[in-house]
Parts: sequence; structure tokens; C-alpha cells
Amino acid sequence: MTNALVEAIADMREEDALALAKKQLADGTPPLEILDACREAMAVIGRRFEAGDCFVPELIMAGEMLKQISELVKPKLTEAAQAQKLGRVLIGTVEGDIHDIGKDIVTFMLDINGYEVKDLGVDVPTAQFVEAVRDFQPQVVGLSGFLTLAYDPMKATIAAMRAAGFTGQVMIGGGQIDDQIREYTGADAYGKDAMAAVALAKTWIGA
Amino acid sequence: MATVTSAAALDAGKTAQQLLGERAKRLQDALQLKQPDRVPIQLGFGYMLAEMGGITRQELHENAAKEQELLEKAALEFQPDSAMSVYNNPASSLAIGGDRMTRFPGHGLPPNGSFQFVEGEYMKPEDYDDFIADTGDWAVRKYWPRVFPELGGLALLPPLGMAAFGHYNLYNLGVIQAPPVVKSLQFLAKAAEAQAVADARAVSSVQRMAALGFAPPTFMGALVEAPFDFMSDTLRGMRGIMLDIHRRPEKLLAAMDKVLKFELEHAIGWCNATGIKVTFIPLHRGSDGFMSLPQFEKFYWPTLKAMQLALVDAGIMPFVFYEGVWDQRLKYLAELPKGKTSGLFQFSDIYKVKEVLGDVMCIAGGMRNSLLQAGTAEEVRAETIKLCREVGKGGGFIMTTGIGEMEGCKPELVKVWVDTTKEYGVY
Repeated sequence: MTNALVEAIADMREEDALALAKKQLADGTPPLEILDACREAMAVIGRRFEAGDCFVPELIMAGEMLKQISELVKPKLTEAAQAQKLGRVLIGTVEGDIHDIGKDIVTFMLDINGYEVKDLGVDVPTAQFVEAVRDFQPQVVGLSGFLTLAYDPMKATIAAMRAAGFTGQVMIGGGQIDDQIREYTGADAYGKDAMAAVALAKTWIGA
Repeated sequence: MATVTSAAALDAGKTAQQLLGERAKRLQDALQLKQPDRVPIQLGFGYMLAEMGGITRQELHENAAKEQELLEKAALEFQPDSAMSVYNNPASSLAIGGDRMTRFPGHGLPPNGSFQFVEGEYMKPEDYDDFIADTGDWAVRKYWPRVFPELGGLALLPPLGMAAFGHYNLYNLGVIQAPPVVKSLQFLAKAAEAQAVADARAVSSVQRMAALGFAPPTFMGALVEAPFDFMSDTLRGMRGIMLDIHRRPEKLLAAMDKVLKFELEHAIGWCNATGIKVTFIPLHRGSDGFMSLPQFEKFYWPTLKAMQLALVDAGIMPFVFYEGVWDQRLKYLAELPKGKTSGLFQFSDIYKVKEVLGDVMCIAGGMRNSLLQAGTAEEVRAETIKLCREVGKGGGFIMTTGIGEMEGCKPELVKVWVDTTKEYGVY
């Protein structure tokens, strides 16, 4: 029964997935079991995304289905369903840049791969990154930027975090980012896509 | 390639008129897939002009005289074949009382911010039926009031289809005197006036540059988008359009068919009216990574290809900005008629682009912005020589930066780039 729900979500059959989740809840399936099925489906979608078999439309659809099923399940949840997280990643789009698509995909992929991700949003000032590094204590910071204007804020943010004592790793990514800019900004690595971000987190924090 | 010649010696002693003729021909030859005398280079200075002139980006956008002065100064200093300033202009957006989908320096951004779009779901899923049934009516009465705060009064207008009621519809005209409608129409008139001034300045800028010996940039022309991007960028937004692919594919396809028709009517009309037979088509969601190839084949490529073919049939050259990475999609572009379209490639593997499309279309781009900002003179020189030799081979290549603009680029590296192109780009 749970497998049918995993398949419905992974194959983007939204109506089937919702109907199945409702039926399972009505039939007395424990809410946590339904959420586990969702997580399993997300992992399948994540693998397909990595393999180039599914793309942004599927990630967004999966997020939508997950949201709707979570809302169905939530009222019946009696205990917290927090899985053990592998490590903490702080992420945000640097000051002056308001692009979020790439950052959101990286956040999604890190999340389904088991990392606790704190997303500061877009146009994030350097001081806010420094503060979040202190409070959230991430092992890895990911800086995103789509415009060439992101180069200097990235450089400044990394310098400020280092000056404040951050000793973890910094990865950068976005439309105009390449190895030249990794060197320029002082980042530890850059990633071309969300899978690269996950691979870096795995190398640095462990999987 | 012929023997290496010093850059300065090439153009020495020529009049502005001679230079203009040579440069315009150089760009035209490349666009027609012919081999010019040397690789043409076009500098889209963009915000680099503000950096060089020590002014804010806001001032660059809003002080046209200063902008022109800086453009002329930079063009004379670097001596490219053609040069341009920033592409987007805030004049009409400011005059209309602001719009929710853009942010310009000094308006929702710091004075030295960079122009950006704010994507949103400005068209809701439930709007599709109205959009398909009567796009114009929906746009004027429902969409404009949503995205332009000062045009809210237009929501009071009766359905625009009532205009076909001839004499009887005159009895409906009283509503145009309603204060919210009057106010909206006044803002619309102010925006029209501001845009007309900006258009006149753009024309005079091209004329000024021509008088100094610089050819018109290839970015000119009518502006349209791939129908998928039209539905995505200013209407459904990224999240909305991606959900539409799964939730309402038939409606999305029907809407795109409508968009294709009126975009073509607009572009062909614009080109015929101005005599500028070029249409600029910046692309967004067709890039590798957003959708799968089957989705691309169903939702993106058919209308984009049809658009380009229709423009070519009308004697118009599409100048297409293949933004992002198109490495997995080059084979589709190879279906386009040879020598009739042109493409600016941002982050695609430019050498592979040459291999697959070298005999299909003129290729613009090549130079990475990151190299001009953070590279060394030696790296810039080596990359430029490689680009001239490999992508420039046989002609059909216009050297520009991959994004066509140059904010943050170091002037000394730009000089190395231009001079090396002139030295090693000679055929």
C-alpha cells in the first residue's frame, strides 16, 4: 500500500497520490508511515534528478505534493517526525542579487539528502551571513548568485565570515560562477549544479 | 588567418566614415555567415560605463546625456566595431508609477544595484481560460491593474469586446471619465511620452556613434520572447509554469499558440515600420537543466522554431540570446535555415557550438565575463587567440562577452581582449 503512494508521487500522479494518502489515513495507516513514503518518493525523485531523468518541473511538483500530503497528515501527528540530520548547511543568495531558483533547488536536494538546511533567502547582507554562522553553527555555507555583480559580495561575505572565526567550508554557485571566481572570492569550491552541492556536502560533512 | 598585425596599425589614418563602412560590413558579413576581413568585436559595456565614469548605475540609467558621453568615451578608447550601453531602460517603468516585476538601481535597489526582474505568479491558473479566449481584454482589464499599481482604474472598463458594438458602445464611454480610469490613463500617457523620449534618444545615440565610426549593435530590433518564456517570465513565473507542464499542459500549449501569433504580428510590423530587419529574442527556460528533452520538444522548441522560421520568411533576422547552457539542445538549433538566424551564447561550450552550428548561424559570444574580471592579461590573451582561431575559423563569429554586457570587467583586460582580437582575428 505504501509502495503505491511512493510510486504515485515519484511518477507525478498528483491526484492518485492525494487520494491514496487520504485513503491510507482513513484506513488507519500511522501518519509517520505516510510521511516515510513521501520521503522515500523524494529520494527516488532526487536520484532521477541526479541521473538527468527528471527536471525542475518534477522537483516543483514533488514539493507541491509533499506540502499537500503533509497538511493532510499534520493534524493526526502526535510525535515529532524529525529524522536524524547529517549536518548543517547555511545557504543564501548574496547581497544585491534577488535570484532564488538555483538556491531553492540546491536547498531541496540537500534537504532530501539528509542535511539540515537554513535558507536565509535572497539579497542577504554580509552581516546577516556572519550572524547566522554564529547562531546556526553550520559545517558548510553555500553562497548563491546569478549576476556578475554577485562576485564582490561573495568575496566580502567569505572574508567577513572567516574574520568572524568561521572555519567550515564555503561553496559558491550560480549562473556566472566558474573556477576563476572561486579563486577570486576565496571559496573552497564551486558547483555547477545542485548535485555538485550535494557531492561537496557529502565530501565535507559525510553522508 | 593571415600574419599577425599590430592592432593600432590596422585602423590608423582612417576617417570615421571609412571605419563605419568597414565595421558595419564586418558585422554584416559575420551575420550572413561570410568571412569578413577580421573577427568583429562588439562591446556591450553596460554598467562598466558607470564604473569607468565614476557615477552610480542609477545615474547611468537616468542621465541620458552622461550615459552617451561615457559610451562615446569608452568606445573611442577601446575602438570596437560596435558598442552599446545598458539594454534595459527604466524611463517608462518609472513614469507609469512603477511595476511590480522589475527593480532598477535607486528604485527598490541601492543606487549601485543591478537591474533585475522579480518573477511572480502575476497570472493565476484560473486566468488561463480568459487569457486564451481574449488575451488583450484580459491583459488590459485584469493583468495591468495587477502589475502596474497605478493602472488599477482600468479594471473598471467594460469588456473590450464591447468596442465592436459600434454606436451602441458609445453609451458605455462615460466610464472613461471615472476618476480611477482617468488617473490610470494619465499614467499610461506619461509612460508613453517617456518611452517616446527614450526611443528618440536611442536613435540619436546610434547616429552619434555612427558619426564617430561605430556600427549599430546587433542587439537592436523588435523584442519578443519564445512563447514559453512569454508565458513564464511576466505571467506565470517559474513555479507556476513548471506546474502547468504537469497540471494543465493543454491550456499552456493553447496559450502559447495565441502568443506566437501576436508576437509575430508585432515583430514583423515593428521591423517593417522601422526598416530595422532584426528581432531580438532573449531566451530563459529553454536552457539545459530546466526541463527534460521530451518536455523541451513538446513545450519549448516547436513555437520557438516556428517563430524564427516565420521571421526569416518575412526577411527578418532573429538575433537570439541562448542564455544559460544549450549544450544538449544544439541539434535542434541545427534545424534552422542556414545563414538566416544568429545566436549569442552565454555559457554553452562555444567550441562545441562552432562544431555543431558553424555552418548554420552566426555565433556571438565567447569571452567569459569572469575572465575579464578576475583573470590575468596572459589568460585573456590566450583565450582570445583560441577563440579567434577556432570559433572565428571561416567567419560567422562576432566576439562579445557571453552575457553581452560587461559590468565589473577590468578596463586593462578589456583592452588586451580587444587588441588581441584585432591582431589574431585577421583572416
